[in-house]
Amino acid sequence: MEQLVAVSIFLGILFLFLGSGVWVGLSLMGVAYIGIELLAGRPAGSAMINTIWGASSSWTLTALPLFVWMGEILFRTRLSQDMFKGLSPWMAYLPGGLVHTNIVGCTVFAAVSGSSAATLTTVGRMSIPELRERGYPEHMVIGTLAGAATLGLMIPPSLTLIVYGVSINESIRELFIAGVIPGLVLASMFMAYVAIYALVSPNYKPTPEAKMPFSQKVKNFAYLIPVILLIVLVIGSMYYGIASATEAAAFGVLGALVLAAFQGSLNISSFSQSLMGAVRTSAMITLILAGAAFLSLAMGYTGLPRALADWIATMQLSRFELLMALLVFYIILGCFLDGISAVVLTMAIVEPMIREAGIDVIWFGIFVTVVIEMAQITPPIGFNLFVLQGMTDHQMNYIAKAALPMFGIMILMVFVLIFFPELATWLPETIRNNPS
Amino acid sequence: MGKFVRRILDGAYLAGGIASALCLITIVCMIVLQIASRNFGFPFRGGPDYAGYAMAAASFFGFAYAFNHGSHIRVSLLLTALGKYKFWGEVWSYGAGTMITTLFAWFACKFTIQSHKFNDISSGLDATPLWIPQISMAVGSVLLAVCFWDNLITLLMTGKPNVRETSMTETGAE
Repeated sequence: MEQLVAVSIFLGILFLFLGSGVWVGLSLMGVAYIGIELLAGRPAGSAMINTIWGASSSWTLTALPLFVWMGEILFRTRLSQDMFKGLSPWMAYLPGGLVHTNIVGCTVFAAVSGSSAATLTTVGRMSIPELRERGYPEHMVIGTLAGAATLGLMIPPSLTLIVYGVSINESIRELFIAGVIPGLVLASMFMAYVAIYALVSPNYKPTPEAKMPFSQKVKNFAYLIPVILLIVLVIGSMYYGIASATEAAAFGVLGALVLAAFQGSLNISSFSQSLMGAVRTSAMITLILAGAAFLSLAMGYTGLPRALADWIATMQLSRFELLMALLVFYIILGCFLDGISAVVLTMAIVEPMIREAGIDVIWFGIFVTVVIEMAQITPPIGFNLFVLQGMTDHQMNYIAKAALPMFGIMILMVFVLIFFPELATWLPETIRNNPS
Repeated sequence: MGKFVRRILDGAYLAGGIASALCLITIVCMIVLQIASRNFGFPFRGGPDYAGYAMAAASFFGFAYAFNHGSHIRVSLLLTALGKYKFWGEVWSYGAGTMITTLFAWFACKFTIQSHKFNDISSGLDATPLWIPQISMAVGSVLLAVCFWDNLITLLMTGKPNVRETSMTETGAE
């Protein structure tokens, strides 16, 4: 009983801090401090510094700022124009036309960027005006972009998966490789939706593209070669075991710099802007990670994770029921928190639960990522919605409504993952069985 | 006078950001050296540890700079809902933030000094005395606390914090 009171006070303070607008990383740190001092009755200072230092000075974590930096460099190149030029001639004859460039463009950029906002801005910057000019239905342009940009979180490199892997001490490389096939499946589902919508809807009448000779199409495709080389370098080196995630990130940064230099968009100003942008974003994430590491320790003192895992175990939930409960839980949480905070905040509690239930943690990482992705496009705190609002001047409601079908497709994806777990487990197993 | 202090403080946060940026470049160099040492067989002991220290330094030095740019995230739903009482909500959240960062800075300094006094050595291959890399934590956390005090005082005096409220599009984290 006493423990129950302690736990309720602890969680109460946590929600008070988070809800009242105290910065996420600091909320976690403050609650953890109070928890250890008051509830566990120990001096919290040394535990605080040891945990924060340990969590911050980690070799695995270095992949995070490097992938952020890589994305920042590419964001400042001509990549968005090049991708549109290279992809559009090939997409023009599919049912649904150039809307597919949104999806394929996001898929390609997701493979060199770890964030969904970066993917969204890079692809949308070029495709929104071009598609509008050709009279594509506005809600399709906006909706597919919002949905497909979330692939940035799923297709490696992925900041969410790095944060997840660091939180539960699992191989980032395996998580990355696990995300490849589900990412491609989700992209195909988006494309299938666009094709079906275009065939069924009577209002889908964009200006047809001018005929382009095949040789010209091939020539345009050449614009994509640099980014494809970069993808092969980053994902290929990880897949074949040549590089760890961190080393692949360093390759990625150097490769992105070479690409920018070849395009002539590398100068002192773009270099330092990309670097300072990376500093801001990664400092933001590492503050949350530092706070979360300390909070996990404090949670351990309260006994909450263990108790909850035991309680769930006594309920004899099936794997499916447990996953459904977690799905609902994360969707609700995603309405108030950004994806990275939602992952780090819950892992201390959810990890023992899923390990107890015998759920593959690599697979669960992909599951959580899809669910977190959905939160990106749901109000009130959908990051992609904010970004799109800034880019298009539409009302939030309009954008959320346009993205709703994508939300439905992602829910479908969750069930596909549950019933075909091999989608996420097969590739990592192949690399586990043949170490380089 | 006020303007002078403002420029010194903003300059200090920016300096932290630049130090952080240099640490990122250092990380890339460390990793490249690490790969090269593996493939060309020259010794580079403790590479991962050094990269880890650079990682910690990159984070700690960057905290205040990122904060001053409005990059750190929080749940602002309730604050917005407060309407004309938003000021008091801000006072609460900046106040709480100031308390927590001050606590963090205090302990970070205390334990870095202790680690110097007891001569803690890294358990890794690098065998570095730990207080050296931990200086980044002490300095960075103090800078963050100063940044919070600065913002809290500015908020109380002018009704607005010094932090630029950046638009969501500028944060590339998601």
